[in-house]
Amino acid sequence: MNAPTRWLELSVRAHQEAAETVAALLHKWGEGGVAIFQDHEQETVDHDPRPVGAWLTLTTYVPDSAAIAARRDGLEKDLWHLHAFHGDLVGELETQWVAEEDWANAWKQFYTVLHVGERLVIKPRWQDYAPAPDEIVIALDPGMAFGTGTHPTTQLCLEALEKLPVAGKSVLDVGTGSGILAIAAAKLGAAYVDALDTDPVAVSAARDNVVEAGLASAITVREGTLPLSDPAPTYDVVLANITAQTLITLAPHLRAVIAPHGRLLACGIIDAKADAALAAFDAEGLRLLDRREAGDWVLLDMERPT
Amino acid sequence: MAKKVRAVIKLQVPGGKATPAPPVGPALGQHGVNIMAFVKEFNERSSSQAGYIVPVEMTIFEDRSFSFITKTPPAADLLRRAAKVEKGSGVPNVEKVGRVTQDQVREIAEMKMPDLNANDVEAAMKIVAGTARSMGLEVVS
Repeated sequence: MNAPTRWLELSVRAHQEAAETVAALLHKWGEGGVAIFQDHEQETVDHDPRPVGAWLTLTTYVPDSAAIAARRDGLEKDLWHLHAFHGDLVGELETQWVAEEDWANAWKQFYTVLHVGERLVIKPRWQDYAPAPDEIVIALDPGMAFGTGTHPTTQLCLEALEKLPVAGKSVLDVGTGSGILAIAAAKLGAAYVDALDTDPVAVSAARDNVVEAGLASAITVREGTLPLSDPAPTYDVVLANITAQTLITLAPHLRAVIAPHGRLLACGIIDAKADAALAAFDAEGLRLLDRREAGDWVLLDMERPT
Repeated sequence: MAKKVRAVIKLQVPGGKATPAPPVGPALGQHGVNIMAFVKEFNERSSSQAGYIVPVEMTIFEDRSFSFITKTPPAADLLRRAAKVEKGSGVPNVEKVGRVTQDQVREIAEMKMPDLNANDVEAAMKIVAGTARSMGLEVVS
């Protein structure tokens, strides 16, 4: 299935007293949810931004398809009735077409060179950078995949990975996203890296980044997840920057692919769920070597003892 | 260090199931925010609220970093449950689909108090009652 390339944006201005009702109508006719924009005073984070006035702009979207006219008309009809009920609180429906390229790449201009750990440098593929002699540069175009290096979980993983004895080792990266950790492992001297992701968008972005980095012979990117087909290979180092819930579900399968005395860097864990994740790994007989935190995010550095 | 605020955006998206598609993509993309970073973090934080529409209040700073908090379900959802009706009236001025009591309105107002732009419970109740009436719910004492 191809994702729609353009969407009809449906926006209504509403007083806060009617905002919830308008939001409910937008949920009914739109897709994926509702965004609400409120004018605010320019404030710093020292204060909560103070809203200005009581009017909001509520927006939803409908993908370009045959049903689009019916949904637009349905919303217009519901709004008309709402208008009759309290017209002074609800504005007119406004529409415009938006295309994915209008928003998908907007963040890129704010994505710049980033130093992580002691020697790692993450840079956008479209930007030049002259590295110092001992620096390891990872060039990325994450596209719509996760892993730009800006998120605390990715940074935690990179910092921990940099300190591991990776050189000459086999590495598995579960949930590779943009491929950032797999590429870092290969650049740190791993013998080979297998990278998995369940999201085809991520697999395609990761393959692209691996080829551009000239590491196609060292890194294999595949769509999929654990468990691996039997007999499963084992790896000296397993990287899993996913989410706490997925890590807990995968815990037995993760243990199965770690070689004896091998290491697991489990990340993407929000602090409230860290103990549950740790308990799941503990139940599999993995030993905690180190626990690192950045903001609300936790990394568990584990070892399979035997 | 104090950071300058660029925008405040509220989103109402399915708990644990946000995607980079609209409305998240366009709402964040126009402000230069890394969409996937938000999606991952939101889904992780709201995974326990799967099945509910979760309101998010997001502050985007000038450097394009962001912070957000998740909130109580929309008043319309809570009112539907209180009135035991499946959906609100499409023609609230003519067709009433159910009723809620003042006590229920107060209960919802108190629950949503931290999320409403209201100074006291009476003002919050006025907002909730307004929502109820515009869904075709009668407010009875």
